[in-house]
Amino acid sequence: MLALFGKLLDWFKSLFWKEEMELTLVGLQYSGKTTFVNVIASGQFNEDMIPTVGFNMRKVTKGNVTIKVWDIGGQPRFRSMWERYCRGVNAIVYMVDSADIEKIEASTIELHSLLEKPQLQGIPVLVLGNKKDLPQSLDEKELIERMNLAAIQDREICCYSISCKEKDNIDITLQWLTQHSKSGGS
Amino acid sequence: MPIGRKDKDEEGGGNPFSYIERTAVLQEARIFQQTPINPRKCCEILTKIIYLINQGEVISTTEATETFFAMTKLFQSSDVIMRRMCYLTIKEMSKMTENAFIVTQSLTKDMNGREDIFRAAAVRALCAITDSSTLQGIERYMKQAIVDKVPSVSSAALVSSFHLSKGAHDVVKRWINEVQESCSNDNIMVQYHALGLLYHLRKKDRLATSKMVAKFMKSGLKSPFAYCMLIRIASKLLEEEDSGHDSPAFDFIESCLRNKHELVIYEAASAIVNMPNCTARELAPAVSVLQGFISSPKPSMRYAGAKTLSKVAMKHPSAVTACNLDLENLITDVNRSIATLAITTLLKTGSESSVDRLMKQITSFMSEISDEFKVVVVRAISALCQKYPRKHAVMMNYLSSMLRDEGGFDYKKAIVECIIAILEESPESKESGLSHLCEFIEDCEHTVLATKIIHLLGREGPKTLNPSKYIRFIYNRVILEDEAVRAAAVSALARFGAQCEDLLPSILSLLHHSMMDEDDEVRDRATFYYHTLAQKQKVLNSAYILNGLTVSLSGLERCLQNYLKEVSEEPFNMKSVPLQAIATEETKTAIAPTVRKTKEKTPASRQEMYAEQLSRIPEFKVLGNLFKSSEALELTETETEYVVRCVKHTFDKHIVLQFDCTNTLNDQILENVTVQVEAGDGFEVIAYVPCLCLKYNQPGVTYACVAIPEEDPTEVTTTLSCVMKFVVKDCDPNTGEADDDGYEDEYPLEDVDITVADHVHKVIKPNFGAAWEEVGDENELEDTYALSTVNTLQDAVKNIVKYLGMQACDRSDNVPEGKSAHTLTLAGVYRGGHSVLARAKLVLKDGVTMQLTVRSSDDVAAQVITSAVG
Repeated sequence: MLALFGKLLDWFKSLFWKEEMELTLVGLQYSGKTTFVNVIASGQFNEDMIPTVGFNMRKVTKGNVTIKVWDIGGQPRFRSMWERYCRGVNAIVYMVDSADIEKIEASTIELHSLLEKPQLQGIPVLVLGNKKDLPQSLDEKELIERMNLAAIQDREICCYSISCKEKDNIDITLQWLTQHSKSGGS
Repeated sequence: MPIGRKDKDEEGGGNPFSYIERTAVLQEARIFQQTPINPRKCCEILTKIIYLINQGEVISTTEATETFFAMTKLFQSSDVIMRRMCYLTIKEMSKMTENAFIVTQSLTKDMNGREDIFRAAAVRALCAITDSSTLQGIERYMKQAIVDKVPSVSSAALVSSFHLSKGAHDVVKRWINEVQESCSNDNIMVQYHALGLLYHLRKKDRLATSKMVAKFMKSGLKSPFAYCMLIRIASKLLEEEDSGHDSPAFDFIESCLRNKHELVIYEAASAIVNMPNCTARELAPAVSVLQGFISSPKPSMRYAGAKTLSKVAMKHPSAVTACNLDLENLITDVNRSIATLAITTLLKTGSESSVDRLMKQITSFMSEISDEFKVVVVRAISALCQKYPRKHAVMMNYLSSMLRDEGGFDYKKAIVECIIAILEESPESKESGLSHLCEFIEDCEHTVLATKIIHLLGREGPKTLNPSKYIRFIYNRVILEDEAVRAAAVSALARFGAQCEDLLPSILSLLHHSMMDEDDEVRDRATFYYHTLAQKQKVLNSAYILNGLTVSLSGLERCLQNYLKEVSEEPFNMKSVPLQAIATEETKTAIAPTVRKTKEKTPASRQEMYAEQLSRIPEFKVLGNLFKSSEALELTETETEYVVRCVKHTFDKHIVLQFDCTNTLNDQILENVTVQVEAGDGFEVIAYVPCLCLKYNQPGVTYACVAIPEEDPTEVTTTLSCVMKFVVKDCDPNTGEADDDGYEDEYPLEDVDITVADHVHKVIKPNFGAAWEEVGDENELEDTYALSTVNTLQDAVKNIVKYLGMQACDRSDNVPEGKSAHTLTLAGVYRGGHSVLARAKLVLKDGVTMQLTVRSSDDVAAQVITSAVG
């Protein structure tokens, strides 16, 4: 009886003070996806990372919002599977290494072909240009231009330039994300 | 659905999953994608999916992939039960779905995580989705897991590595240090798994294996399972070494008999018992341990002990006699399987006087034991009959009562075979045995057994005092049974008609009835036999009813096909057809000792194979059909540089010698290999077929063809001396590349004897008397010989059969014990297709005296045969 009451209480609590959201984190390998998750989850930056083989599932609580993050590997063999994990999420976060100019084009192609999938229609997209701390990195404007983000008209799209290492612009990113949780966004 | 529910109600607590359906379950699996997750519901669906897969349901790749990816969404929940169900599902689906590697990251996280309850299962699931190409990615984690301090994780990693080594032996081999470390783990399961894997990785390397065994024998092990494993490895090594039992490995196994774990003690005892050529002294400690087992209060121990002792009793009955007293106590064991094993063991070891008592005991609960054990009992009886011929009458009674009881085919077949063996052994029990069998076929549901018995009746019945009483039994079959049995019965009746003149009119009228049978085969047989018998000629009866065809059926088919291909005025010649090779026990034992197991094919197919090979060589096309091929003779010692064996193929006017050569030197290639044959006694070598190239360890064949002298047709034996000639080229042992220059060399071989037996083919005449009359005394030769070199009749019989190369008929090659006179009857076909029969009357009196009478359709054949003994 007591347990039942406890569960009921939890449910009430979640109704008023808690919100949940689910987002999928994709992008080419070595762009800093897993690092980003670590930074928003525990605030820790770790230089020494190994490639993600498959996916990481992390739950991050920020204020009264619980964020479920699907962090998918960026190596070519996983890219065909991105779409499966993007279906039905509240937002897609697309990570770009803004300092690796050579890979920008490949990254652009992957992003556009992902967003063409009919299953993912209307899902908001946040493009993050990581590694802002490096000298040759591109800023938001250059990224929007280089990646032709203006062409994406059918959904909400946003672009921030961040640095996981220096924790630069992480706060505004989180703000954007929490706004797009179930109630907050629409 | 209402119908389904009703069925379920009727079943009571039946299988709740028996009505699930693939598409419905896969549809349900979509809720995996919904949030929040309902773990209880998801577990149920996962169970259904695993159930379906294990029922052999085929799930297409697209369906499987869809479901698999939906399942991966469940990793967001950390519900323990559901996560473990996910691991199981991953393992089951790993081979059906595409891209199963997507869960790699999650599984590696779990296997290295803090939740011990996840770790072992995650290791197993991870190895299931890993193949040799992705293995390197997880190598580091696997090495860690093997030496993990949690036993379940370490065991899981070891066992998974074992499975992985099938595809990626080399990668797993790199983990050998970690595996070795786990061998000293304190947990009994980990140690066992580690030793198993270590052996698996090293078993191809004999030296490493024996080193490993030696190390553990010295240091000892904690785990009884590992001990059992070590015993098995050690006994395998012993078997391979084959160097007697004085090695440390044997001492180790023996020392395990004093281990404190029953498991280890039993494993050691059973290893010793199963060793080939174990002496009584070596066996004794194992037997005394087993003796302790059978007086144990635990039924499983008694069972193990009794079962193993019964195995020992098969080979070394005397070793088990010491346990007789304890076995006696088991006769009344409540567990019937133990009691049966005890009794059958006692039957093998006990004295003749105890047989009656034991048999009474076992019949008291015969109805309570399973068919499998009933067969064990019948086998024991059969062995007993061979040992104590005087007990035949008693055994026959037991067997007949067992025949009347309920039982499956294997059981009945064992009984029938045992009865047939008894009545062929002992003439006294023939009548009673036949009448038991007659009674059995009155109500026999097994066609195979019925035809077997009817055939036996046809062969043995006419020779009994009152043949007419069997006719009723046989004719009943003609009226009541199916086609196969009816056809057999008709043939059996014809045999009675051919041998019992007073019954002939009745047989003819019975056959006349069967000429209206609805089955073609039965009708044909009846018509054929009716008209043959109506001629009332003994020669015809013998040739077409009593003795039948002796040719090989596949050979006949081939000859007829060839005959039809070419238009010929001549009638088909039956004498050109190859004869049926006889699979006697002699040929079997002659083949068995040759180490190559591939040679152990049935002799019939062997001859076919040779005929096929020879017909492909153009030089030998003109020789005609192959008459006979001898067993292979070794012309060298087995351990020499070149190993040569010879097979003699006899044709109508020629003998082809086939030399199978093997080059055992890896730094040489032999070219243009021939075996030069020095002929004499009018024999002449007319052709050689060389073997062009003989590489290391690849057998090659060369032939020599010898013409048999025609001027004097009785000159058929000779000795041919052989020398192998060839060109040697040195070569690189590793690449096999040969030098350009070679030199000629030769290698002496042992002589090849051409004997009378090479010219004679064995045939079985089921009715020798009739065949003897059929051939007639036109070409009869008779002579008396004193066989000074042999001392017993059995030896004399063995030698005569060997020299003449003919088949003993009517089981006359078995000399009854204690007789001083014996008649041996032999049948064969001489080269060219003439049948030869011989009757040797032997008398034992200061050596053996033999009166040999030979009859043949050809006078030369008769002369050759009589000259063979001398």
